[in-house]
Order: sequence, then C-alpha cells, then structure tokens
Amino acid sequence: MSTHEHDLHTPSPHEPLEMTLARLLRIGSFVAAVLIALGIAVMLFGNEKMASGLVTAGLVALMATPVMRVATAGLIFVRERDWRFACFCLVVICALIAGMLLGHAHA
Amino acid sequence: MLIHTVEIFMISIVAGVFGSILGLGGGIIIVPVLTLVFGVSMRTAVAASTVSIIATSTGAAVAFLQDRLTNTRVAMWLEMGTATGALSGALLAGYLSQRFLFLLFGLLLCYSGYNMFKARKAELPEGVEPDRLSQKLRLSGSYVDRLLGRRIDYQVTGTLPGLIIMYFSGIAAGLLGIGAGIFKVAAMDQIMKMPFKASTATSNFMIGVTAASGAVVYFARGDVKPLIAGPVVLGVLLGAIAGARLMVRLKATTIRKLFIPLIVYTALEMIYRGLK
Repeated sequence: MSTHEHDLHTPSPHEPLEMTLARLLRIGSFVAAVLIALGIAVMLFGNEKMASGLVTAGLVALMATPVMRVATAGLIFVRERDWRFACFCLVVICALIAGMLLGHAHA
Repeated sequence: MLIHTVEIFMISIVAGVFGSILGLGGGIIIVPVLTLVFGVSMRTAVAASTVSIIATSTGAAVAFLQDRLTNTRVAMWLEMGTATGALSGALLAGYLSQRFLFLLFGLLLCYSGYNMFKARKAELPEGVEPDRLSQKLRLSGSYVDRLLGRRIDYQVTGTLPGLIIMYFSGIAAGLLGIGAGIFKVAAMDQIMKMPFKASTATSNFMIGVTAASGAVVYFARGDVKPLIAGPVVLGVLLGAIAGARLMVRLKATTIRKLFIPLIVYTALEMIYRGLK
C-alpha cells in the first residue's frame, strides 16, 4: 500500500469510463425519480390507475439502468480494445438474460 | 393511505442512507418495516426491497464513481461470479438443502465478522502485494480520500479466490435472497485486501446488477406493487444520494464499526433459519 500526498484532482487513465457510467446512472435515476414522483403526486388527486402506470414506468426505467450500465461498460472496453474485460461484460449480460428468461419460465 | 405513503417514504430515506454507506441493499431495514409495521405481505415487501436495491446502487454510484472510490475493473471481474452464481442458484433450487446453505453461509459470515472485528482499528490495509492475475487484469486502483485529504493508491490481491467467493455468494443471494451485499464487502475487504471504503463503494456498484435480474422476475410475477414500491424507491434513491455524499467524508474505521453489528446480525439470522 503506497499512499502519498497528491494533487486532489490528478487525472486517472480510467476516468472516461467512470465519468460515462456516472452520467448514465445519473440520467437513469433522474428519469425514474421524476416518473415515480409524478405518479405519487397524481395518486394524491385520486387517479390511481394513471398513478400506478407512471410509477411502473419509473420502476422499469430504474431496472433497465444497471443492465444498460453493463452494456455501456462492455462497449467502452471494446472501443479501448480491452477484449478481456469486454468478454467479462458479455458473460455478465448473458447470465443476466438467462436468469431473467429462467425466472419468467418459473413465474 | 397518504400518511402511510409518507411514512414509508421517510423510512426508505433512512434505509437508503445506511445502504449506500455500507454497500448493502437496505433490505435489512425495508423488509421488516414493511411487513411488521405496515402489514405488507412478505412477497410484496421482498419485491419492493429488491427494486430498492437498484435504487441504492444507482443513486449512490454517481458520487462514488466521481470520487473514483468505485473500482470498476474489480466490479466487472467479480460481477461474472455473482451473475453466474445467481444463475446456478436458480438452476440448483430444489437440489440443494436450504437449511445446509443457511448454516454454511451463516458460519462463514461469523468468521468474517470476527476478522472484521480484529481489523477494526486499521484505516487502510498495508503492505498488500498484488498477485499475478491482479497485475494482468490491472485491478489496482486509486481514489481521493476527502477525509484524509490525499490520494490513496492501492493494490488488489486474492483475485481468483475473490471470484470464487463471489460465485458462491451469488448462489446464496439467488437461493436465500439475503446477504448479497454483505458477502461482496467482506470478500473485497478480507480476501482481496482492498481499502474498506473502496470495498463498500464497489459492492454498492455491483448490487444493482444482481438485483436487476431478480427484480425482473418479481415484476413478471406481479409482486411489485407500484403504490408500495414507488415511495420506497423514491425514498431510497434520495437517501442513497445523501448517504454517498456523507460516506466519502467518513472514516473507514467508522464505517467498519457500523458494519460489524450488521454482519453479526445477518450471520445469526442465517444460522437461526438453518436450525429452525
């Protein structure tokens, strides 16, 4: 473990990947939060059907975000010709899809 | 109904704060509160909690990624283990004794809690030599610690054992539905020797992916009730955003002290369910 004094904002070689993913996650959580908050607001006015539609849309946006995150990371690794890590992302996505299909079959 | 919504929302904020600081889903708070206080059915509570794990992960990850506390390469490597483990768990359900698994993982957590207690005074791991696989995969990381006011460069070891543990923790999460985050933090902290804050931030980053596949299944079954899950997710999301900002300013030893009681509680709960 080496720790030393440093400029607090030294750029790292990994910065692009992290910043792209942070932006993606911020957009995903913002869209989900707005849809759910709207849904709850509509619920206060008594329109339950429209409320649950909006909340459901928000929840779907939220659930899609991590899957998009793995896919985006995979594409960035491909662009950087980091084939090994691109492969890791592919394994994760395949396992996720297989798990979802299997879950649907059991549901 | 309205008062209930507001109350669920407030409690979810607390769950989001703790979940994001500790790198866990916060289900440890959400599930008992929804079932015991609000009389929600277990299925609905677990479904809401699973969706809220994604909210904890997504909400907190933005701040952790910007501070580079999240080690994305370690996360991608270990996600292979959790994702394939969860899949095997789903395939093996019915062939493995749940009782035996609860006991096994409960004892494993006890041991891990004991190790964490021994290391409770260490702010950062020292003298970590990277193994060959870790060097090959370039897993070493660095982040700016806002509390210590300097950059921390660290090495990662135990690369393959870490992946194997993640595979089994994926099976446990898929079969038993608990302990997904706790095993991730413990493995990165104790086997891969990562700094504690990097461990919880990286675990936080990973739990969203594991929870997403489970959430889709609950959704298909109709267990995700929008009027319960909605306020939970919104609260957890806000709590996680606030918690992440707080966490980057906390001492690793403080976070560890919050973590130890939780690991002991989860271990005892697992052993109890194994013996019951």
